[in-house]
Amino acid sequence: MTLLELNNISVHYGRIQAIHDMSFTVEEGEIVSLIGANGAGKTTTMKTISGLLNPSAGSIKFMGEDITKMKAHIRVVQGISQAPEGRGIFPAMTVLENLDMGTFGRKDRTGVPEDLERVFTLFPRLKEREKQFGGTMSGGEQQMLAIGRALMSRPKLLLLDEPSMGLAPQFIRQIFKIVTEINGQGTTVLLVEQNANQALARAHRAFVLETGAITHSGTGKELLANPAIKEAYLGVG
Amino acid sequence: MSMTEGPRPLRTSKSEQQTEASEAVGRLPGTSADVPRRGGMGGWSDRWREMPRQKQWLILIPVVILAFFLPLMNIPFITTEPGNDWPLACQAMAIFALVAVGLNIVIGYAGLLDLGYIAFFAVGSYTAAMLTSPDSAFIKIPYLWTIPVAIAVSMFVGVLLGLPTLRLRGDYLAIVTLGFGEIVRILATLIPAMKGQPGFQNVGHPPGTGPDGIPVFANSNGTPWYWLTLGILIVLLFLVGNMERSRVGRAWIAIREDEDAAETMGVPTFKYKVWAFALGAGVGGMAGALMGGQVGFVNNQKFDVVTSILFVAAVVMGGSGNKVGAIVGGALVAYIPLRFTAIAEYKFLIFGIALILIMIYRPQGLIPAKQRLLAYGTKAYAAVRARFSGKGANPSGTGGTGTGGTGKSAPPAPKPNAEGATS
Repeated sequence: MTLLELNNISVHYGRIQAIHDMSFTVEEGEIVSLIGANGAGKTTTMKTISGLLNPSAGSIKFMGEDITKMKAHIRVVQGISQAPEGRGIFPAMTVLENLDMGTFGRKDRTGVPEDLERVFTLFPRLKEREKQFGGTMSGGEQQMLAIGRALMSRPKLLLLDEPSMGLAPQFIRQIFKIVTEINGQGTTVLLVEQNANQALARAHRAFVLETGAITHSGTGKELLANPAIKEAYLGVG
Repeated sequence: MSMTEGPRPLRTSKSEQQTEASEAVGRLPGTSADVPRRGGMGGWSDRWREMPRQKQWLILIPVVILAFFLPLMNIPFITTEPGNDWPLACQAMAIFALVAVGLNIVIGYAGLLDLGYIAFFAVGSYTAAMLTSPDSAFIKIPYLWTIPVAIAVSMFVGVLLGLPTLRLRGDYLAIVTLGFGEIVRILATLIPAMKGQPGFQNVGHPPGTGPDGIPVFANSNGTPWYWLTLGILIVLLFLVGNMERSRVGRAWIAIREDEDAAETMGVPTFKYKVWAFALGAGVGGMAGALMGGQVGFVNNQKFDVVTSILFVAAVVMGGSGNKVGAIVGGALVAYIPLRFTAIAEYKFLIFGIALILIMIYRPQGLIPAKQRLLAYGTKAYAAVRARFSGKGANPSGTGGTGTGGTGKSAPPAPKPNAEGATS
């Protein structure tokens, strides 16, 4: 089943067009990666899907329903949850309070303990640090918190905006491993990355974004093997 | 942090603190350290939070009684006399504290820099004056009724200003509100019904006449006014304290911390910002009505933007986001120029320097904020924590009860911690 569908989306910042006529779909149960260089429009795409930006043209469908005009805070309730770029955790709240914020839009309070356990099991480090303030944690821990917080709304679609940004290599591998684990538990993941190697290796399907438009698409393995992509994004020529 | 906090939702038991401590010893390299958040007075407020409820009351009740007796106690060195009447000085402090508590909702909780808060104060003052002063052409109502009317009118004005402007962020909002602060003052000059500089004399006051035939709430009699204001302030603190721990309070803090993130957590940020604005405006209007009644005279000269900045200074000095801090900040801003009359002329210079020093040495204000944000679901969290703390030091929780128990974990599980909390 098609979970998310973007049809001919264009996004403008004032008069500057950041996304040109973009269309793609995300099927239920997949990990889909969007890779691209700085300024290619990755974060803009994510913000358009989560509802923080409004497209100037085109439509977005989620589970067959048109959500183009839907406010961001309602999309969360519908099942789209975002771990924003730069983590966007609440620094003056403790880890537990941050996770609690993730449940803000939820209607079913009874499932919360279950999801908290799930997050603590995925990220035992968060349990160890539950009383620590978000702002005092290391980058990798903050990233775990951002993902964990996004999971607390029990999303159908998890949007991860550059989860590897600024992290040490062993943390990057760990984060991607956990992404696969989350996906294995039934959450569809749309991932935006500059770290093309890991993003492609973990993805079922992937798209390459260049200056606001999709230039390549295929399965993760296909794109990993594509010489043009190898040269441009994987640093091997 | 708070002097008036309601029932504390959750307290960690000793046993859990011990497991925390034992975990801390065996910390892995490469992980962030537990940074102690603050020293000094922050330690005080932490100790306050750790105190049992009965002990808090034991301290709180004498403090409140002492506060009520304040205008009657002319303590040497502390008193503002002979320069300024002491009960009236107490009333000024109480009014500023009230204003600071209201503005703290806007700045401290929701993080909206409102530089034109004086406008709501003015709206409240004018509402009280125009509905009670013989100089006004409007219908007259008893003074005490003007207080709820002033709250309603200024809340309405707050929403009116908020709807178009709260789509702006940060500096832009500050500039718009700064302009709004001036607009109200200028309107008071231009609109004939608001009477500009001549203003309104003999603004009403609550009923009651003393044995000597002088009204109890005479303009020069600060003590009853102070008691009225203090009573209102205490009620307000209970309301604000409850709001702080509610869903609304959490939403405000989240907006202050990161508005986009709050929105993607499902917080209707715009709605909550308008609410913060409106509630702040209501408190400002109420303070204005009290001030107008006590002074007995309202005209366009009192509501300049500089006073508005003084309000902001009170909140920031006291500790933005902390209502006790706001009270201390507000009271200090009123007290210092009244006590030290020789330097009263330089009050803006002095508060400017004080603000700079506080920003350098104590950026979170005199009494830093720390809200309890887990408004609901605390019992459920306690249950999960309890189960996890048993194997807290074991990071590879996948094989443990964590995943195995998820299916039937929703109802309250064994919770040794929660028992400690409810006592």
